[in-house]
Amino acid sequence: MTLYLKLAWRNIFRNKRRTFIAGTAIGIGLAALIYTDALIIGMERNMIDSATASFLGEGQIHREGFQETFEVEKSIVNLADVSARLDAEPIVDRYAVRAMSFAMISSPANVSMISMVGIEPEKEQYLSQIDEALIDGGYFEGNNRRDIVIGSKLADLLEVGIGDRVVLTAAQAHTGDLAQEMFRISGIYYLNVAELDRGMAFIGLPMAQQMLNIGQNAHEIAVRFTSNEYGRDRSLPFWSEFSTDGNEAQGWVDLLPQLEAAFELSDFSTILVAIILFGVVALGIINTLFMSLYERMFEFGVMRAVGTRPLAMGRLILFEAAALAAISVVFGALLGLVVTWWSASVGIDYSGIEFAGVTFRELLYPELALMQFIKYPFWVFVFTVVIGLYPATYAARMSPARAMRESF
Amino acid sequence: MNVQNNNSVILTENVTKEYHDNGVAVHALNGISMSIERGEFTAIVGPSGSGKTTFLNIISGLDRLTQGKTWLAGKLLSEMSGRELSDFRRDHIGFIFQAYNLIPVLTVEENVEYIMLLQGVPKTERRERVHGVLEQVGLEGYADRLPTRLSGGQQQRVAVARAIVSRPALVLADEPTANLDSHTAVGLIEMMRDLNQESGMTFLFSTHDVRIMERARRLIVLEDGRIARDEIQAAAAGRQA
Repeated sequence: MTLYLKLAWRNIFRNKRRTFIAGTAIGIGLAALIYTDALIIGMERNMIDSATASFLGEGQIHREGFQETFEVEKSIVNLADVSARLDAEPIVDRYAVRAMSFAMISSPANVSMISMVGIEPEKEQYLSQIDEALIDGGYFEGNNRRDIVIGSKLADLLEVGIGDRVVLTAAQAHTGDLAQEMFRISGIYYLNVAELDRGMAFIGLPMAQQMLNIGQNAHEIAVRFTSNEYGRDRSLPFWSEFSTDGNEAQGWVDLLPQLEAAFELSDFSTILVAIILFGVVALGIINTLFMSLYERMFEFGVMRAVGTRPLAMGRLILFEAAALAAISVVFGALLGLVVTWWSASVGIDYSGIEFAGVTFRELLYPELALMQFIKYPFWVFVFTVVIGLYPATYAARMSPARAMRESF
Repeated sequence: MNVQNNNSVILTENVTKEYHDNGVAVHALNGISMSIERGEFTAIVGPSGSGKTTFLNIISGLDRLTQGKTWLAGKLLSEMSGRELSDFRRDHIGFIFQAYNLIPVLTVEENVEYIMLLQGVPKTERRERVHGVLEQVGLEGYADRLPTRLSGGQQQRVAVARAIVSRPALVLADEPTANLDSHTAVGLIEMMRDLNQESGMTFLFSTHDVRIMERARRLIVLEDGRIARDEIQAAAAGRQA
């Protein structure tokens, strides 16, 4: 065994240029896999953050059916009890209560249909990024109940600015009577998310409750957990514990099914990239090993003649494949580390690009993970050795006389 | 099947080898029956294409015959599997080829040691035998060199050392002097003849080299895959005696 390991190791350095080219090809393939994986992890995190941190939250509680109909009457059952349980829930970091309804907003210049959202500004700033995205005015400063914060695109549509007056009109619960209130624009935000910048307006929760005639009730509780993995975990007991009394608790994975579908697409893309890379690498390995084998036909013939068993010849080729794989894997892992680390330190600017209904708001940072340097090198190594089985079988079956005859 | 009561190292019976070259049947060997006795120093000669190398390949189990029987050291080769043939060659036959004899990534010592490694000979014994045989072929002091750093003659000496180190019953040499200059070739032939005389090792050559023919005790001439002549050379036999 040691003899063939020694032979294999020395053999792959007989033609250094070829080993370098083949090793580089395999190494670049591995580095590309590591980088793709890191990019997808970074992209998923970025998309989750963009989707959940802007407004959605990592989880939400509603009355059953509210999501589908947006009916004002469908407020959360036992809001006080639910809030108390959320206060006691260890995995909940923050939560914010919202009252919401479709409404009409009008200015002297224009009118638009929007989602009117009543919020608790102090709590909401931990759940959404409206306060951070302000480009004009302030975020419910001065506790004025007629303050309204709207998106920049809506402001453009209504042709309003800070201090201008707008009127909100919404239907009240149970009666359907129209409630109309005047507000002054106190803040304008730009989140770079079309849906939020043009389709929403934020007012204080008490004012919304009054307009909608829902008393102290609310329609939505947005939740942020102590770990951002919880929102994706459908098996988390939290969902069933808070889906009681006619309420329904859901993570972002169910609130934004298109995001999960996009991630599945990304995973499929990774597999596709892997298949293509592995295919190219496989051809490279086969070519390298066969070139090396054909160059040494007489030598193999001599080795067989002096008593090397057929299986041992195959083993030698397999060891050569393994030696090539070992060098390539080390090179590829290092290259993958350097490229990913560099890319993760400078970031990739996808901001403003929308994918699966989510707009990238921050720089995209590929994420390094230990598994990338275990899983992919392991598979590339195994794959290279498995590919080596083909030339190894050829070498093992080679007749010594034919090998020597064909070498001339 | 074992052949008993026989001093033959090689015994062939009506050996025929036919192969196809671009669809054309080529009769490389046509019913060769012969015997090589222990301790012989025999040369097989003949023009190119007469079947010399094919014959060596057949009697060493490197190639399969089409018809006939071959016994080597009493064993019928056609009854052996590929693995058994490998082990049999390892233990009973030493090979010397025309060129590219050695494994270039192994040192002289490792090349000579190779067969003993396959045989599982203990390290101490391996080292002793390697150094002994390198001394025998005049290459003491070259143990750590790679073959590429040796002359053609020195490389062939290493090949001889590798061929004899496991003390085989038979040494087969296919055109061993073809790539050597005259002086080196004569030295190599003399060395092999000395080994034959001192140890009684059987040598069988395939050659065009008249210097080997002159020194061979027995000369087998092949023509068109048949034995055209098989004779004991009195002069060479006399020299050996």
